[in-house]
Amino acid sequence: MNDDTLSEQTRSLVQELRRGVITLAVLSQLHEEQYGYSLMKRLEHRGMQVDQGTLYPLLRRLEEQKLLESDWRVEASRPRRYYMLSQFGKKVLQEMRTEWTRIKTTVDDLLTNEKEKENEIN
Amino acid sequence: MKLIDLYLDDIRHRLPPRNREDILNEIRSALMDMIEDRNPDPEQAPEDALIESVLMEFGPPRKVARQYGTQSYLIGPRIYPSYLMVLKIVLIIVAALNVLGLIVSVAGKTGFDAGAFDAILQIIGGLFSSLFSAFGIVTLVFAGIERTASEQWTVELDQEWHPDDLRQAEDKEHVNLAGLAIEITLSLIFIALINFFLNRIGIYYFDDTGWISEPILNDNFRPYIPWITAYVTFDIALNLYLIRKGFWDKLATILKVMINAFKIAVTIAIISGPSIITVTESAWQRLNFDLSITAEQLSRGLNTGLNVLLGLAIFGMVVESIQYLYKGFIKGRHASIEIKS
Repeated sequence: MNDDTLSEQTRSLVQELRRGVITLAVLSQLHEEQYGYSLMKRLEHRGMQVDQGTLYPLLRRLEEQKLLESDWRVEASRPRRYYMLSQFGKKVLQEMRTEWTRIKTTVDDLLTNEKEKENEIN
Repeated sequence: MKLIDLYLDDIRHRLPPRNREDILNEIRSALMDMIEDRNPDPEQAPEDALIESVLMEFGPPRKVARQYGTQSYLIGPRIYPSYLMVLKIVLIIVAALNVLGLIVSVAGKTGFDAGAFDAILQIIGGLFSSLFSAFGIVTLVFAGIERTASEQWTVELDQEWHPDDLRQAEDKEHVNLAGLAIEITLSLIFIALINFFLNRIGIYYFDDTGWISEPILNDNFRPYIPWITAYVTFDIALNLYLIRKGFWDKLATILKVMINAFKIAVTIAIISGPSIITVTESAWQRLNFDLSITAEQLSRGLNTGLNVLLGLAIFGMVVESIQYLYKGFIKGRHASIEIKS
């Protein structure tokens, strides 16, 4: 979905919505190790655009919360910081996944009801 | 690549010291990844235009740094309303005292000559400097509170809550942050006054050589200064403890009563000791109040008045201590001392 086609109001609401799920999206991609840029590309490729200014501090916060582990590695004469889920992170991701499925089902259900009502009125 | 160094330097001095270099290394690594990915000819050094576009995309240094830092305040939003209130009260008191000084100094004069005009200018100058000092002290006190205040003053959004808390809160003796802040501010001013500006507490008059002040507290007062400083400091410490705690507990009650006992002892010593106020003959004549009493009579009268006031203060402190003991231990409104196991 392209943000440019949205109205100003909708855009800010969508950003808020996206902000809520970024953590889940990031954690979901870190079963195998990634450095910041590769993770960003990976998310982008799957349709999830994450701002760099958001991603790097987020990775750091998640590491501080012990959800991620990281280590610096030199590759092609350039150091990169690789992140990966910790054991605790895996557990948290599992719980978040369950919760996400529940929320998604509920919201889908609410939106479907809403659609049906709209159709009835029309 | 110099541009990248400049960019990182700009971010560097905006970052909190903790993990600063690590964060910068990671940003550099991210920038290099972006450049490498977009450089059409990896064999060639990237063009400035490419580096610029990458930096533009990464964002202004100020914004990047802000994403990493937790915001810290000199005086945060939770105590800002109290700060403003206390500041207004203290500034009004200081301004009022200065204006009172102006009125007294003008009242003794018959004509409105150049000397009087000078005096007024000096007082206005003094007014600004004392307003700035008061502003500084209040701000320092609140900056201290910002760093020590209990979590109770923050917005407790995530804490568990039960309607029973309302009933318990009613039973607790909560402390008034603004009141305590005023007390601390005035205590600090008082300590500074008796320790460093004792000679300034006195009678002021203006003559050909400028402002003259004749101290009114004599040398008999000096031995009490360390004791008074001590109990005012204890008071400040207790107030800081209360700010941190948010409500009166039994430890605070016991400390309050002990400090009061100490104050009463010092006050009794002052009352029973030699008189501490002396108005000199020269100062009394200069004031020119046309009263038919001598400076000595005035001094004696002031000492008696002071002793009566101190006697009343002792009575007040005894009543206050009984009130606190009653509230804390008999009515049980002051929480028990928490002993960490």
